[in-house]
Amino acid sequence: MEDLLAARAQMGTSLAFHIIFSALGVGVPLLLCIAEGLALKTKNPVWMMLTRRWARATAILFAIGAVSGTILSFELGLLWPTYIKFAGAVVGLPFMLEGFAFFLEAIFLGLYLYGWDRLSSRAHWLCSFPIWISGLASSWFIVSVNSWMNTPAGFQVRHGQIVGINPWQAIFNPSTPYETVHMALACYVVSGFAVAAVYAFGMLFRGRRAEYYRKGLLLGMLMALIAIPLQIVSGDFNARFLANYQPAKFAAMEVVYHTQSGAPILVGGLVDTKTDTIRYAIEIPKGLSLLAYWNPDATVKGLDQIPRVNWPDPALVHPSFDGMVSIGFFCLFIAVIFWGLYLLRKRQLPMQRLMLLGVFVAGPLSFIAMELGWMVTEFGRQPWVIYNYLRTADAVTTAPFLNISFFVFSLIYVLLAVALVWLLQKVVHRPLPQVTLSEDGYEVQEPVIEKVGA
Amino acid sequence: MSIAFVALIILWWALMVYAVLGGADFGAGVWDLFALGRNAEKQHDLINHALGPVWEANHVWLIFLIVGLFSVFPTAFSVLSIALFLPFSIVLIGVVLRGAAFVFRYYAVDTEGFFAHSWSRVFSATSLITPFFLGISAAAVASGQLINSSGIPDATDVSSMTTPFALVIGLMSIVLCATIAAIYLVVEAHDTEKDEHLTASYRLRAIIAGAVTAVLGALGLALSISEAPMLWQGMVARAIPLIVVTMVLGLATAVSLFFNHYRLARILIILETVFMLATWGLSQYPYIVPPRFTIANSANESSVIQALVIGIIVGLVFLLPSLYYLFSVFKLPYPVPGLKRREVEKQQQRRPGQKQESALS
Ligand code: HDD
Ligand code: HEM
Ligand code: HEM
Repeated sequence: MEDLLAARAQMGTSLAFHIIFSALGVGVPLLLCIAEGLALKTKNPVWMMLTRRWARATAILFAIGAVSGTILSFELGLLWPTYIKFAGAVVGLPFMLEGFAFFLEAIFLGLYLYGWDRLSSRAHWLCSFPIWISGLASSWFIVSVNSWMNTPAGFQVRHGQIVGINPWQAIFNPSTPYETVHMALACYVVSGFAVAAVYAFGMLFRGRRAEYYRKGLLLGMLMALIAIPLQIVSGDFNARFLANYQPAKFAAMEVVYHTQSGAPILVGGLVDTKTDTIRYAIEIPKGLSLLAYWNPDATVKGLDQIPRVNWPDPALVHPSFDGMVSIGFFCLFIAVIFWGLYLLRKRQLPMQRLMLLGVFVAGPLSFIAMELGWMVTEFGRQPWVIYNYLRTADAVTTAPFLNISFFVFSLIYVLLAVALVWLLQKVVHRPLPQVTLSEDGYEVQEPVIEKVGA
Repeated sequence: MSIAFVALIILWWALMVYAVLGGADFGAGVWDLFALGRNAEKQHDLINHALGPVWEANHVWLIFLIVGLFSVFPTAFSVLSIALFLPFSIVLIGVVLRGAAFVFRYYAVDTEGFFAHSWSRVFSATSLITPFFLGISAAAVASGQLINSSGIPDATDVSSMTTPFALVIGLMSIVLCATIAAIYLVVEAHDTEKDEHLTASYRLRAIIAGAVTAVLGALGLALSISEAPMLWQGMVARAIPLIVVTMVLGLATAVSLFFNHYRLARILIILETVFMLATWGLSQYPYIVPPRFTIANSANESSVIQALVIGIIVGLVFLLPSLYYLFSVFKLPYPVPGLKRREVEKQQQRRPGQKQESALS
């Protein structure tokens, strides 16, 4: 494999792997906080059982998130030294602040996970707040870096030197508000659906109906219901922002080869990059002009206005975008039906097989939507790594053996994924902890086998 | 004093913290390798208990270092990324597998099973490899031969990493980590587990590993005369007092272990590590990567560094109290709010006994 391609593949694999854990690392702690709060307030031990079980899974997920994040921070230098020379100078600050946010998250997670026996139940619950708050903060900081790569700001280039750096302007670059909000919401969407899917699976295929399962499903779906409509609205803002600030990406997303007024929306279809055409797409006349500019006759800039060397690949960006949007609407549909049934049936959890199946499917799909969204962002920015300033091809390292490196790291990811899945299914199959109330808060009896491990 | 210099001191401080905390972590992995026989189960438990709540926080220092380095000295960092591509790729694999292995092993349902056992081996192996290559990389930088005078780095040129000097420093890093860990584990075994047998065994290991560290350190020093001349000259010119203090601290650590003052030994080995790194730093001042990149010619714009330093200070305002709280809840015997009543009582029972001990030392 060519070195540049190998480096890109390694970077993409690493990010695609990491994002799964970081999204859960942002979303699940909020669920923990809510569940434990409910346990303390309602004195219903089931909430505590859920909290304990999720905490155990979080510990494992967080650790994998941390190691995969470590890989990323090394890779930025090892694979893209020129990029990091540029980015480090300008957006070092958010990287640094992100580091602090991680650190706080790790500290309080340590307290939370290992402090059940030492902390009072109130103090323990309070420890969950810094976890989800700093998780959210860290995602904000890192995504602000990505936004900066999309719409660079806060510096000037003079004689090949970067001067006049303003780190605050760099952090609050034009796309920051759009990207950070959309990503934060994505974290809650995927975490909500992921948790709900686990319990839907238990009900579907293992015949579980106990309160534990119902409450787990309910809380997951609640988070999903709140986040998904906001997600779609915010995505619409992202798209309209791109139409003005990153026309190449927007044109690739919507396969607009020719600048035109009254542009249609093309859904699906096969992009042929040899002839620059798209076939078999469903066409919604004037849709794109309407959505992007609130005017059915507005002119949409096409790829023909951009030199060909600066084109992203519509054959990658367009299907990714369509995939994300369709999944977004599917997830919205599931959440709305679920809560509609719930309210119609006087607060009975809907248990129809088809409904549960839908929830179960929405879990993995929402992750795919998130991955696809990142593909839109990253492939859509090509051939630039820092939009209009640094080409990906110029950023890559001169070090050799990049394909070996890609191969080794891919193996590591496979190894980690297999071990992780194996371990998590053990956690799921373990007998539930027994929770009883006591004057000192909660007494939790973990099943005996657990004692051996911990 | 320039703001870049202030930032460099902060980075160096982070390096010291990483060496002291992360180093102990690696060392614990090394001892895990030697946890054989009848006592093995107990030793694994001891190590798990000692690491469990803090290992993740320990390793964030490494991230902090990397991020700090590329924000403050972007040019030097990008050159290092290329020149150290090979050793750092290995370090990265080590850090990653190690972190994962620790959790997998910790949360494995069946601690005797194949799964836990294999990851245990991975944990130990990577605990050896990682500090070794970190040491080699540090030695290559310090020797001043990592980057030739053209300033264009070459990832395939590993000559500066295969010198006897680099190898000795690599080995010394492993043994130093093992020493730090052994001393922490002595304290843990003595105070928390109250296990005489484990205490004695780790005390012996600490003394032996400490002695080996001293020998390798002396050897490294001698080799640096010919192989890292810039470092050596800097040392002679500026750092002789620090070297003397380092040596005295090493001896004092051994003596206090010998007389069973474990907590004192722990403080001394921390200081020893700190002074060792300070010696290195002072000797290669004002270079970031000798002989080409100095503080002055590779630092970022000072307004940016200023913002970073402010960011760090604000961050620390949140961080340090939290970190203190973490260590208080799990490791320190002082009262903090939020503990369970029964834990508070336990603490109170424990404290008078410890008072006596510290009075002795
Ligand atoms: C749960 C996941 C999820 C769902 C359901 C959606 N998105 Fe999304 N989308 C993401 C998860 C995501 C993401 C992974 O989080 C991205 C990548 C970069 C970012 O900021 O968010 C993203 C990026 C992204 C971008 C590119 C932003 C950029 O490059 O600056 C656009 C235009 C949209 N989204 C639009 C939408 C629309 C119109 C949706 C309507 C259904 C939608 N997204 C649903
Ligand atoms: C977490 C979700 C993300 C995913 C899934 C993702 C995905 C990808 C993919 C697929 C590539 C390869 C691009 C290509 O080959 O065309 C890539 C490249 C890259 N990404 Fe991202 N990305 C994510 C977030 C980020 C963030 C937050 C940053 C910034 C800090 C970032 C920085 C980079 C860099 C430097 C490259 C290499 C240069 C390039 O190929 O453009 N990514 N990413
Ligand atoms: C180039 C991109 C990225 C880099 C360099 C990076 C770096 C890191 C590092 C070093 C860690 C480990 C910190 C620790 O040891 O505790 C980490 C964890 C984490 N990252 Fe990333 N990250 C990137 C992308 C992202 C993105 C896009 C998100 C957005 C949601 C994110 C969210 C998190 C979170 C929440 C954690 C905490 C661990 C967890 O909860 O699983 N990261 N990341």
